[in-house]
Amino acid sequence: MLLLDIKNLTIELETPDGLIRAVDRVSLSLREGETRGLVGESGSGKSLVAKAIVGVLNRRWRITADRFSWMGQDMLQVSAEQRRKIIGRDIAMIYQEPSRSLDPTALVGEQLEEAIPTSLLDGYWWQKPFLRKKKAIALLHKVGIRDHQNIMQSYPYQLSEGICQKVMIAMAIAKNPKLLIADEPTTALESTTQAQLFRLLASFNQLKGMAILLISHELESVARYTQNLSVLYCGQLVESGDTTAILKHPFHPYTHALIKSVPEFQPDLLPKSPLYALPGSIPTLQHLPIGCRLGPRCPNARKECVKTPNLERLQNHYYSCHFPLLKRDES
Amino acid sequence: MSILLEVSGLGKNYYKQRGITRKKVTALNNVSFRLHSGKTLAIVGETGSGKSTLAKLLVGIEKPDSGIIKLSGEQVDISNYKKYNHVIRFIFQDAGRSLNPLQKVGQMLEDVLRFSTILDAEQRRVKIRKTLKQLGLLDEHAEYYPHMFSGGQLQRVALARALILDPKLLILDEALTALDPSLRAQIVNLLLELQQQDGLAYLLITNNLQLVRHISDEMLVLYQGQAADSGLTAEVFANPQHDYTKKLINSAL
Ligand SMILES: Nc1ncnc2c1ncn2[C@@H]1O[C@H](COP(=O)(O)OP(=O)(O)OP(=O)(O)O)[C@@H](O)[C@H]1O
Ligand SMILES: Nc1ncnc2c1ncn2[C@@H]1O[C@H](COP(=O)(O)OP(=O)(O)OP(=O)(O)O)[C@@H](O)[C@H]1O
Ligand code: SF4
Ligand SMILES: [Mg+2]
Ligand SMILES: [Mg+2]
Repeated sequence: MLLLDIKNLTIELETPDGLIRAVDRVSLSLREGETRGLVGESGSGKSLVAKAIVGVLNRRWRITADRFSWMGQDMLQVSAEQRRKIIGRDIAMIYQEPSRSLDPTALVGEQLEEAIPTSLLDGYWWQKPFLRKKKAIALLHKVGIRDHQNIMQSYPYQLSEGICQKVMIAMAIAKNPKLLIADEPTTALESTTQAQLFRLLASFNQLKGMAILLISHELESVARYTQNLSVLYCGQLVESGDTTAILKHPFHPYTHALIKSVPEFQPDLLPKSPLYALPGSIPTLQHLPIGCRLGPRCPNARKECVKTPNLERLQNHYYSCHFPLLKRDES
Repeated sequence: MSILLEVSGLGKNYYKQRGITRKKVTALNNVSFRLHSGKTLAIVGETGSGKSTLAKLLVGIEKPDSGIIKLSGEQVDISNYKKYNHVIRFIFQDAGRSLNPLQKVGQMLEDVLRFSTILDAEQRRVKIRKTLKQLGLLDEHAEYYPHMFSGGQLQRVALARALILDPKLLILDEALTALDPSLRAQIVNLLLELQQQDGLAYLLITNNLQLVRHISDEMLVLYQGQAADSGLTAEVFANPQHDYTKKLINSAL
C-alpha cells in the first residue's frame, strides 16, 4: 500500500526581496515497508522536504503540492489540526540538528518517557508510570546504551554527540511509527555503531513494516540500507529510481559527479591526492541559472541546456537531463 | 618538519551531581602525542571515548586536570585563549550553534579580522571575499544570517571563520560529515592544498575511516579515554594492535 504520495511539492519563502522557491515540484512516494534514500548537494532542500512532510516549517514558508496523501487520505483537504494529529501519530522524525530533537533543559530520561505514547502501554493506569520507565529502559538497550541509569539522569550537554544521537533514535522509534524520517541520523557515530543502529532500523523495517526515508551524505549507508533513491539538486528532483541501479549507472551528470567524489567508490586513489569534485558551488536561490540548474557547473552542458529539462522516464528510473549518460562511458 | 604541538599525559575528569553524591567520569586519561606542522593527525574512537574532550582541552574551552601542552616547543596555558586563538582554530560538529544568529556572516568575519589582525578596512574586505570564495561561498552569502544556510553550508561558514586568520593548526571535530560528498571533496582538496602551500597542520576527529585513510599521516585511536593505538595511518590500518582497533578497521573494509 502507498503510505506517502506527494506530487509536485513546492516550498517557497516570503522574503523582503520577494518570493524565493527553495523546493521546486518535487515528487516523492513511499510504500509500506519501503526504504528510500534522499541525497543531494548541501542546501538542495532535503531537510526542507522532510520538515514540510512533518509540518514543522513556520508560517513564512508557503507549501503547495498537486497531491499530498497519507495512507490514501488527502492531507490537503483535512484541517491543519487533524493533519498534525495524524502525522504526529504515524510519522517520526530524527532531526539533523540535535537541538531540535532534544530539550537541553530536561533530563534525557524524562524526554524519552514523554515520547512513549500512553496507548502503547497495556496495563492498569496505576501501572503506567512503571511500564513507561521499563519501556524507556528497553528502548535504550535497543539502541545499544547499556548504562541506562546514568544516561537517563543526564542532561543532553553532559553526553557525547553519539549518545545523543542514540537517544534521538530511541525517541523516534518509541511510538512505533509507520514512517521514520531520519535526517543524517548517525553522523556522530563510528562505523561499528552505525552499522549496529542501521541493523536495528532495518529490523524495525522488516518486522513491523516501518518505512524509512533516510537523508544522508554517506552514500555507502544509502547503498546498503535503501531500496530506492531520490537525488535532489538545487531544490529539484534530478534522478530517482532503484538505489543499486542508480549508483551503478547514474543517468544524471550530478549523480555521476556525486558518486565519483566519494573515495570509497574510487579504490585506486592515492592518499592525499585530490578528490574529484564538480567546479563551482550551488547557486543561491535568489540567482538561479536559466534552464537546467546544474548548467554552469555541468561538464556535459550544451546550448540546449538553457531550456529546463523535463523529468523523463526509462522503465522505473526517472531523470531530468537533456543529455543523460545512457551509454556507459568510462571517463 | 618542526614539531608544532606536543601533548603529554593529558587527563580530564568530569563530575556529575547525582543526588548528594558526585560521580566522576574520566573522559581522558594520560594521552600523549605529537603533531608536526604540515601534517595531519586523525583521532578516531567510539562515542564517548573522549575525542571532543581532547579538542576542547586543546582550544581552552575546558581546563585539563593533568598534563602538559607544548606549542612549538614552549609550554602553554591554553586557557589564555586570546593569545593562541589565531594559531589554533577549531570547528565543531554543531557549527550552527557556535554562530551568532543575529549577525550577518560578512559582519562576523569582519569582526574576527578586526579583533585579531591589523588589516585595514580595504584589506579586510579583500580577505573576506577571498576566504568566502575559497570555501565555495558566494559574495552575496556575506549578507546572509546563519539561519538562512543549510547544515552543510553552515559548516562552510564555520570553516571560513576558522581559516580567515591563517592559523597553524586547525582542529576539525566531525566538521566534514555534514557536507555532501562533492562538497566534502572540494573542501578536502582545499585543505590538502593549504597544507602543501602553507604547512597547515590538522587534527581531524572523524568517524569516516576512508577519510582518515585518505588525508591523515598519523592516527590515534582512543578507547575509553586512553590511547589504544597510535602511529602512521598506513601502519595502524595494516597492523592494528588493540582489539577495539581491529574491530573498527574490520567494520570499514
Ligand atoms: N530563512 C531562509 N532564508 C533564505 N534561504 C533559506 C532559509 N532557510 C533555508 N534557506 C535555504 O533553503 C535551502 C534548502 O535548505 P535545506 O536545509 O533543506 O538543505 P539540505 O538539503 O538539508 O542541506 P544539508 O545537506 O546541508 O543539510 C538552502 O539553500 C538554504 O540556503
Ligand atoms: N560537561 C560534561 N559533564 C559531564 N560529563 C561530560 C561532559 N562532557 C562530556 N562528558 C562525558 O565525557 C565522556 C567523553 O565525551 P566526549 O564528548 O569527549 O566523547 P567523544 O569521543 O567526542 O564522543 P562522540 O563521538 O559521541 O562525539 C562521555 O562519557 C561524556 O558523557
Ligand atoms: S540538462 Fe544539460 S546542463 Fe543539465 S545536467 Fe543535463 S547536460 Fe548538464
Ligand atoms: Mg539538511
Ligand atoms: Mg564528540
